Amino acid sequence: MSKTLKFVLAANLIVLAILTFVYPHLMVGPGKLIPGHSQLETDCFACHAPFLGTTTERCMTCHKLEEIGKLTTLGQPIKKPLTNTPFHQKLLKQDCLACHSDHAGVKRFRIEGRFNHSLLQADARKECQSCHKSPKDSLHEEITGNCTQCHTQEKWLPATFDHDKYFVLDRDHNVKCATCHERNDYSRYTCYGCHEHTLEKIRREHIEEGIRDFKNCVECHRSADEHDIRMPGRGREREKGHRRDRDDD
Amino acid sequence: MTTPSTASLWRNHILPFTLLVTLLGVATVIGDYLLHRLDLVWVGRYLGIPGTLLIIGSLIYSLRKRKYITSGNVKSWLSMHEIGTWLGSLMVLIHAGIHFNAILPWLATIAMGINVISGMVGKMLLGRSREHVQSQRGHYQLRGLSKAEVEQAVFWESVTFAAMARWRKVHIPIFIAFAVLALGHIISIFLFWGWQ
Repeated sequence: MSKTLKFVLAANLIVLAILTFVYPHLMVGPGKLIPGHSQLETDCFACHAPFLGTTTERCMTCHKLEEIGKLTTLGQPIKKPLTNTPFHQKLLKQDCLACHSDHAGVKRFRIEGRFNHSLLQADARKECQSCHKSPKDSLHEEITGNCTQCHTQEKWLPATFDHDKYFVLDRDHNVKCATCHERNDYSRYTCYGCHEHTLEKIRREHIEEGIRDFKNCVECHRSADEHDIRMPGRGREREKGHRRDRDDD
Repeated sequence: MTTPSTASLWRNHILPFTLLVTLLGVATVIGDYLLHRLDLVWVGRYLGIPGTLLIIGSLIYSLRKRKYITSGNVKSWLSMHEIGTWLGSLMVLIHAGIHFNAILPWLATIAMGINVISGMVGKMLLGRSREHVQSQRGHYQLRGLSKAEVEQAVFWESVTFAAMARWRKVHIPIFIAFAVLALGHIISIFLFWGWQ
């Protein structure tokens, strides 16, 4: 290699090295910083510890745990908080990078808006509505709490609850949830919430059939279809025949 | 109308060169597409590591050629060099992806691309040199050398052929520029990345 070529090569590489130190955000930074950190753009070591990267301890020198979600790093109240209730204080451990990334090039590798709920303390995990708003549809408007009966903490959809597995809601049973599930408690139900089914009427009909235990209606009646009665230990077909015999009487 | 030698130059050298460069580009696009499609974009972030190791490993050929190491067949090391740098470059290109973030790694990628193309030109020139030297084969055989010794002699003559020497004057500076830029990128990653 000739001396001139060596000189040109070395000069170019030295210029690039100088540019890297003067404009690190352009030369080596993986994309723009989030707007809140834009003033740190040329000060890499404000967040990065050499050879260790960004650590939670560094984040928390500016972002005090007790203030996250309530006050800005300048001590001003946050005007439009992203959640109704600050939840960072309810995390099992503080690991900022588990959810946050500041550079545009790094954020691209993260799926925005996906939060791992297992990072929350057990009690906070049950308080869905502290952070999430209930959908404004007729079903969800009637429900408060107990979200996990239908939804998982990994995904909102698909909702895991299939009401037909318990009781088919046909046109005669297209009623408000609270008609059967009093106080929005979906772990319980009652069939005596409407005028059609009264305790006295139901008792009389079952006693006539020789059935004395009729507290748990859906154990035998999974729909309003009177031919679809499943009695534990007696089988569905037999019961259908039995019912038909009665109808023939 | 092409002469037989022009046709042979096209068929034996320019066409394989064009195919190798095109294949590298197509494989990069397919690799990048598959990683995005299979939701494995994060894999691309780490492909730079095996890619760089492959490129570094393939430099053993240069050490063998300059006789810093003496073990192994130099022709086999050359094949390893060609395959290793091609595959390593493919991994680094997929790693670079289409995401333009910082200037330094992109300069390193461009230098690598020029280096790969220069390497393929060298491969083409080596083939041409070999063809020329093959005509000298009879001379070696007349000197009573064994078949393996003739092969070695032909190989060494072809790599020291004048055209190759001129090509090396271009290839080595390109490689140095690539190596320094890549090193700058690697150092910056070690400096700022959290390796927890």
